Amino acid sequence: MTTPPTSDVDLFADDVLIDPYPTYAALRELGAVVHLPANEVYALTRYDAIRDALGDWETFSSARGIGFNPMVNQALVGTSLASDPPEHTALRAALTENLSPRALRGLKGRIDARADALVAELVATGSFDAIDAIARAFPLEIVADLVGFTGEVRGHMLAWGKAANQVIGPLNPRTADSFPIAGELYRWCAGVAKDDLAEGSIGRGIFEAQERGAIPQGSAGPIIHQYLAAGVENTVSAIGNIIALLAAHPDQLALVRKDPSLIPGAFNEVLRFWAPINAWGRETAREVEIDGVTIPAGARVAILFGAGNRDPRHYDDPDTFAVERNPVDHLSLGYGVHGCAGQGLARLEAHAIIDALARRVERLVVGDETRVPHNATRSIESLPVLEVVPA
Amino acid sequence: MSTLVIELDQPRCEGHGLCEEAAPDLMHLDDEGDLVLDVARVEDGTPQARAAAAAVRVCPVAALRLV
Repeated sequence: MTTPPTSDVDLFADDVLIDPYPTYAALRELGAVVHLPANEVYALTRYDAIRDALGDWETFSSARGIGFNPMVNQALVGTSLASDPPEHTALRAALTENLSPRALRGLKGRIDARADALVAELVATGSFDAIDAIARAFPLEIVADLVGFTGEVRGHMLAWGKAANQVIGPLNPRTADSFPIAGELYRWCAGVAKDDLAEGSIGRGIFEAQERGAIPQGSAGPIIHQYLAAGVENTVSAIGNIIALLAAHPDQLALVRKDPSLIPGAFNEVLRFWAPINAWGRETAREVEIDGVTIPAGARVAILFGAGNRDPRHYDDPDTFAVERNPVDHLSLGYGVHGCAGQGLARLEAHAIIDALARRVERLVVGDETRVPHNATRSIESLPVLEVVPA
Repeated sequence: MSTLVIELDQPRCEGHGLCEEAAPDLMHLDDEGDLVLDVARVEDGTPQARAAAAAVRVCPVAALRLV
């Protein structure tokens, strides 16, 4: 039995959260598994180790939670996020019943039209904050309408979603400050009823499914919670990253403009290049050996999605952003039984935004992006667009 | 040459459709959005087997296996 290499890196230090990639490169060189005493975790750093772990829920269990503090893991008990088969199977089915691509097929036209109208309006104004005006506004509107949120709740969605992800981190000040706000979301979801959600919405459909016994009693509230907690924050990150990367690489935008069939691949490359989620956790259900080193049973594991996505053992020239690469097997949406449940909707939104940008914009002139450290989600806080060169 | 079987875990499939893009000659989503395997057996080492392996590889929820 060989112990993994150790590093004094703190995955949740401000500078690492803001730009984790130099740290990821150093950890990857140490080994596929690196013990981080500062965070009491074993970090998975290389592509194959991460992909294998995501595919092996029996060893890398989610049942003891995916967060890095006991309070959040306790709060997640009973969700598909924090369970393993067989319990997970019914919870996941209830969550995806109205969220799978087959359920969303009718929405594409509406989402495309909204993205196009939004981008057209902004191109006409010429200067705006890309994060506020697109990355936050668009998923917020889509998810709110889909789930049927009305009135006051819409105003809370961004702050609630941010806090719900922040508390996945260890018990640092960011987590402590966010628990009360995440609690507001939790309480609201515990009390929400069918009539609080718009008629004909997916949210109301979930309550109707509960009424007719298609999903377990009491599961509607937690599902609404997951829509809100996962459906906004990470999509805001991904769409902000699309705009920032296409602005920073006008040659890559030009390739998409010339060949719109590159749109899905361009989104895959954005997700690969900048993973929206820095790290989520698992717990080893048994002792496991990876690349000749041993992780003990009952250990907390940190899955570094972005480190695997930049592993030169898997991707050639991994630090280059190239829309023609089409890395369909990137790790940013997870993989296997816990693969992102909202990825169908995320694709609809992201493809619509890339398509609208590619048709209407030749080049975006942007100022400096600012970032604020967040325990789980890596996203741009603001990105001023100074000038739009229209198509 | 050995025969490989494409196995679909139907309840786990959510209809993301990435497999169809990887192997359009072997499988497709029907009008209901359910995956249909048009070819379930492929010969090892053939282009069909490579397409099947690619489809298995891209399934985001690991609903396909090649055995």
